[in-house]
Amino acid sequence: MRKKLYIIMGLMGLMGLMGCTETVSDARQEAGLPQIYPDYLGVTIPVNIAPLCFNMADEEALCIDAVITDSHGNSLHSQGEESVDFDIDDWHALLAQNQGDSLSVTVSAKYDDGWHTYQPFSIHVSPDSIDYGLCYRLIEPGYEVWSKMGIYERDLSTFEERALIENTQFEGCVNCHSFNRGNPADMSLHIRGPHGATLLRHDGGPFTAYNTKTDQTIGLCVYPYWHPSGRYVAYSTNTTRQLFHSTGRNRVEVFDEASDLQVYDVDKNELLLSPLLKRDTVFETYPVFSADGRSLYFCAARSSNQIDSIRYNLCRIDFDPATGSFGNRIDTLVHAAEQHKSVSFPRPSYDGRFLCYTLSDYGQFSIWHHEADLWLLDLTTGESRIMEEANSEDTESFHNWSTSSRWLVLSSRRDDGLYTRPYFCHVDAHGNVTKAFMLPQRNPRRFYRDRFYSFNVPDFVISPTRFDGRKASRIINDDTRKNFGVRKETASE
Amino acid sequence: MKSLHGLYTLLFGVAVLLFFGLAYPHHLHYQEQYQLFLFEGSYVWDIVRLPGGVADLLGRFCTQFFLYAWVGALIVALLLMAVQLLMLRLVGGGWFYGLSFVPSFLLWLLLLDENALQGGVWAIVLTLLTACFIVKLTNGRMRYVLLIIAIPVLYWLAGPVCFPIPIDSLWLDAHYYRYPTVFPWLLWAASISVFVIVGVAHFIRRHKWHISHLSPLISCLSFLLVAVIMGSFVWKNANFKAEKVMQYDFMATHQQWNRILETVNAEKPNNQIGVTVQNLALAMHGMLLDHMFEYNQNGIAGLLPDVKEDATSPIPTAEAFYQLGMINVAQRTVFEAQEAILDFQKSGRCYKRLAQTNLINGQYEVARKYLSALQKTLFYRGWANETLPLLGDEEAIAKHPEYRRLRQCAYKEDLTGDFYFSDHVTPEMLESLYYTNTDNRLAYQYLLAYYMLTGDRERYNQFMSRKQ
Repeated sequence: MRKKLYIIMGLMGLMGLMGCTETVSDARQEAGLPQIYPDYLGVTIPVNIAPLCFNMADEEALCIDAVITDSHGNSLHSQGEESVDFDIDDWHALLAQNQGDSLSVTVSAKYDDGWHTYQPFSIHVSPDSIDYGLCYRLIEPGYEVWSKMGIYERDLSTFEERALIENTQFEGCVNCHSFNRGNPADMSLHIRGPHGATLLRHDGGPFTAYNTKTDQTIGLCVYPYWHPSGRYVAYSTNTTRQLFHSTGRNRVEVFDEASDLQVYDVDKNELLLSPLLKRDTVFETYPVFSADGRSLYFCAARSSNQIDSIRYNLCRIDFDPATGSFGNRIDTLVHAAEQHKSVSFPRPSYDGRFLCYTLSDYGQFSIWHHEADLWLLDLTTGESRIMEEANSEDTESFHNWSTSSRWLVLSSRRDDGLYTRPYFCHVDAHGNVTKAFMLPQRNPRRFYRDRFYSFNVPDFVISPTRFDGRKASRIINDDTRKNFGVRKETASE
Repeated sequence: MKSLHGLYTLLFGVAVLLFFGLAYPHHLHYQEQYQLFLFEGSYVWDIVRLPGGVADLLGRFCTQFFLYAWVGALIVALLLMAVQLLMLRLVGGGWFYGLSFVPSFLLWLLLLDENALQGGVWAIVLTLLTACFIVKLTNGRMRYVLLIIAIPVLYWLAGPVCFPIPIDSLWLDAHYYRYPTVFPWLLWAASISVFVIVGVAHFIRRHKWHISHLSPLISCLSFLLVAVIMGSFVWKNANFKAEKVMQYDFMATHQQWNRILETVNAEKPNNQIGVTVQNLALAMHGMLLDHMFEYNQNGIAGLLPDVKEDATSPIPTAEAFYQLGMINVAQRTVFEAQEAILDFQKSGRCYKRLAQTNLINGQYEVARKYLSALQKTLFYRGWANETLPLLGDEEAIAKHPEYRRLRQCAYKEDLTGDFYFSDHVTPEMLESLYYTNTDNRLAYQYLLAYYMLTGDRERYNQFMSRKQ
């Protein structure tokens, strides 16, 4: 009797270990495509991306099964109780064999009434590879107080994520990580709170902690962008406030009461100022260098006390990298304010062809604007168009280009309306945009539902950042700061 | 002799039980309200992978039961009794019998502080258990070998308590105290007392200095001495003022409006949280305008205080915002309070409230996220399971007494417009709320109370004439 019991228990244990592994049999053929989470139907993916594992969109499925086939007769199969989880090596091998081609995915799901097989959908494999990884801040999408947060790095070919630094290592918060075209050898990172500093690393050297506030600027340096030469970093300085919506879909309004721009010369330790970029009646923010480093793009709005009437245009000023001097004229590239719209987060592609920006109804902190969408400016024609293929009904906000300028990472709140997730879309040389797909995870629904963090400022890195968090926290806690110097510049230069 | 020892231990346990059950129950509730124990692999792994993680996990596991104060009191009593019994096993009776109570009393003193966590107590228990295990199993040189092996394992299980050198960087990394920058001196004292008492006991035993025929009497006397001295320390150091504030917070969270009025009638509160809760309970009974000046008032700070950046003080105010129908304000206040929890934990009651505000606002996917987390808890699972079917079911929400009322009371963009708010509630906000739904008696009372507390007769009259 006892022996029988052991056998039954052993079999049950084995079944438990095996999970859901059964042959899809007597399946009802469905006329429609499967509803899966995340929506990977018809997406274009880079050849080196991690496996696109997925769940059934509903939570009623008892088992999910997927078979991926290609035109060469290869196939890849996965089955699971909650999600399909493709073998990572087999996945990469399949993608490598199908560059420029499409894969066909047949999904079957088992419900109480048996198996259902859906119409196959395709995934196009682009030969354009994506950068090594993604760097982002994980933070709860809150208001003014922060809990645990940190800067993290994710290998895009696998599911590996590691913390670079967390605020458990010092008292305060960390934000605005920035690299020079994804190269972590040049890195800028702000620490806020009692141990406030800006950590700068240039050309792979050691980190130095700076005090970026000077007597000629309105505050600490805020939004950074590296010059392609690595010699300069453009920063804004912002006097920022927050108010909260009493009703409606938007929760928070983050706005500036003053803001200016400046460029920091890393070699000479001096800030380069221009009166054209620090006007009292204009809010200037989000400076970015052009691909050739000879222009500075930024957003500018007429100052106003009425928050919902502050609307930013996309502007440009010349910049001479040899002398570190600015032009004497500001051009407006996108007159968004005229259309009662507002531009934020301009990001030029590194090939100099396009500039992607966010357009919302007003203000510059578009992550809290559900109506915010991405637009693509063709820098050769000056024409802008909405990126309908990548946008959603909900917020699209921060974004940036891969070093090849073929992939765009974008922040979106389409998943649940609050928690920001990274998505990727392909942009070809003609500006054709593909449907965006969500950052892959092994069990996406479990992962994204259990994680109470937003992916903040997701940006590409071309290699592991080799950021020593312990060493950085020692520098932060040490409180020794090097002051930014200032070089004055006149408008005529 | 053994039965006498057992009786003393039992007496001690009953004293702890009665203290926490009768005099200090809301400190236990407070502990429960600032953590969210999840039955989930990644949650457990994130805790146990750190030094002292097993003690921390056991502490958190026990703390979830503090939702019920008597269960919490029983757990604390059993743990402190266990510490004493394990100490007794290590030091023996006689002169040292009374001293076997010292670590337990020090831990009792520690637990008077609402920011001291149960993990610290478990760390001492695990250390003592390991010591007893080594002493019982081995002797001579083997004991030292085992000890050397046990120290790193114990460091992982219990953290620096097993190695009581007061090095800040070691102790602050362990999760013994809610403030990550505060050194838990009392826990360190309890830890060092274990080592000192056990060490001295063994030294004296080795030199055969104790007088065995006096032991029963000395046992009794030493117990009485320690119990009286340390018991008086415990009583003197208990923070009954904080207990009262926590009681108001607890009653407001559980919407015990009658009990609040009974409590304020017995003793009028004179702290901000007490007055806020008192006014809310009066308003819930429709008595605010007629009776508010029979009680202590604190101006606007006792009605709807400005929201501060801490985890405790905004919660009762958030309850008032919620009951008024200021859903976004309540949501923000609760969210921020939870973010302000110093050891980065989450809170069951905050998750619950955030699920409710998102449900009322129609943000069902966000509500689902909170409810999914609550489904992984022991005591909030039932509520989460009941609430999940409401998501997206407009008909069911329209029939739900609480959510229907709050949806009717909440600001509406087409009526009031979408205005901005910050940390300070203005009479305009209350006026808008009232005109959104003139059946909102709570908003009416709060608005008039606002004018009365600020002495703004002009606006009071304006409002009354407009209303007429």
